[in-house]
Amino acid sequence: MTDRTFLWLAQVFYATSCVVTLRRLVSAGGGPSLQRANYAAMAAGFVLHTVFLYLRGRALGRCPLTNLFETQAFVAWAAVLFFLLIGPSYRVSFLGAFTAPLVLVICLAALLLPVDAVQTTPPRHSAWIEFHAAIAVVACGAFALAFVMGAMYLLQERQLKTRHLTSSFLLLPSIEQLDVIHFRLLIMGFVMLTAGMVGGIISYHIVGHWTIPKIIWAWSVWTLYGAVVVARGLWTLRGRKVAVASMATFALMLVGFWGVNLFQR
Amino acid sequence: MNLIVIGLNHRSAPVEVREQLAFARTSLGEAHTRLLAASPVHETVILSTCNRVEVYALTDNVSDASRSVREFLHNHHRLADRIDTHLYEHHDDSCIHHLLEVACGIDSMVLGETEIFGQVKEAYSVAQKAGTTGVVLNRVFQKVFSAAKHIRSTTAIARGSTSVGTVAVDLAEKIFGKLGRCTVMVIGTGEMSAATARALQNRGTGAILVCSRTHERAEALAGQLQGRAISYDQWPSEFPAVDIVISSTAAPHPIVTREKLGPLMKIRRQRPLFLIDIAVPRDIERSCEELESVYLYDIDDLQQIARENLAAREREVATCHTLIDQHVRRLAEWLDRNRGAVEDRYHRRVADPSLHDPAHTQVS
Repeated sequence: MTDRTFLWLAQVFYATSCVVTLRRLVSAGGGPSLQRANYAAMAAGFVLHTVFLYLRGRALGRCPLTNLFETQAFVAWAAVLFFLLIGPSYRVSFLGAFTAPLVLVICLAALLLPVDAVQTTPPRHSAWIEFHAAIAVVACGAFALAFVMGAMYLLQERQLKTRHLTSSFLLLPSIEQLDVIHFRLLIMGFVMLTAGMVGGIISYHIVGHWTIPKIIWAWSVWTLYGAVVVARGLWTLRGRKVAVASMATFALMLVGFWGVNLFQR
Repeated sequence: MNLIVIGLNHRSAPVEVREQLAFARTSLGEAHTRLLAASPVHETVILSTCNRVEVYALTDNVSDASRSVREFLHNHHRLADRIDTHLYEHHDDSCIHHLLEVACGIDSMVLGETEIFGQVKEAYSVAQKAGTTGVVLNRVFQKVFSAAKHIRSTTAIARGSTSVGTVAVDLAEKIFGKLGRCTVMVIGTGEMSAATARALQNRGTGAILVCSRTHERAEALAGQLQGRAISYDQWPSEFPAVDIVISSTAAPHPIVTREKLGPLMKIRRQRPLFLIDIAVPRDIERSCEELESVYLYDIDDLQQIARENLAAREREVATCHTLIDQHVRRLAEWLDRNRGAVEDRYHRRVADPSLHDPAHTQVS
């Protein structure tokens, strides 16, 4: 049994959570018991996901962020972490319905594509590099959940605007609540990303190793998220536009990340 | 030992009959004890709401109990005419089935309404305090409460709102979340706008502003709603602080136009605005909905949603009945298992009243 088996097993639970969600939508009833089942499935997936990261990290002797596969799995793990923390504390109903499919897609992409390459030359080791990478990835987890919130916002806003209410209408939270939590997640993600960028600058001075595409990508992501956070904070961007901007930035970040890494290979 | 329910509801009796039979809240406890003393029943619960009066009882002799409960209702309310044609009667499984239908709101005038659940609980609590429930009705009512909760949460029988006012409240909550900080403006003083404003107020909205072409009417409604009356010309200046607008004037032309609203939305920094237009002809120009963060609903939209919600509830009735049957079967099995023990205890109590109160008798 390899460490990847645990990640596969985690997917079984994330998929279960997706099925539970479908049942909630179809059965139209879907009381608290299904919500609890959903949360339990996500928590079980998270435990297995954590076991995977632990085993991989122990085998590598460092934070498991050495290739695209590991980074992808780490981002998904951070997204589930934020889901488990935010879902119950803000009483955001139906959040799992949107988080589970996103996490499943990110993990399955990592598991099915041939990106789990063993690094032949061990990367230069520095605590700052690990801090930089780990905190940036956790920031991506916050952005992933912001993406989820954005999708929920757009769906609920559309129903309210078009007056066409589906069975998800009563299950989804209010658009104001989604807007507020979405903004908090963006701030959290942006603060962590900024810390990660500072860690990156320090590690560059220590290790002296960097690549231009990665730097362009990182500063672009930081600038875009920074612009969204500031614009929302100053009320120049509101409602749908914040959701669209945050979702687009997240998509660009993912695409850019794959591009940069494949380019490096 | 049999369970029996005798009663009438909005379908079996007109309001003129129902109002004669309704029990005053203050004398309900006493009515329980009088019924127990006057009839051959061991336990009883009386449910009295504006839409129904029902007597649930445990008895050894169904026909005697039926006769004396009818007699009791007649005498207690000093009725001039017989009301037997309006009364229905169910026994044993069918009695439990009926109680479950009532508790789930399936037997209510507005299908799936939840107020009845609280009323059944209240009736049981009054009977319990009056000491007229015992081991059987305690078990039946408590199981019915948990079954009704289960049915309500696993089906869509109580889902969505079915009146214009409550649909508006649901929508407001899906826009703003908690309504505590929302300011409501009522333009026009129609009955429907007052009812909608009241529905929103019951859910805890903040300040209420009322304006009307006739200032006296605005002041009267503001007084009722504990709001503030503003003059008709003042509404655009108050508008930037308002979150929910209920409009129902008799104006022949729209009073809120896209042209007026556009600049106001900029002042509000595009904060969401919920417009409820219950006037015919409409007060709010339809094109206002094209503005960002504006959510516009007219009377037809609200009625349509209410109708869809009711239709969705109607589709759930069959599922509810399946679940009710399961719960009835379980309760009936318990009754069959314990019938002997319960009968024995009640008969011993009849023979020797000094024996322990059956209400506290343990039955497995």
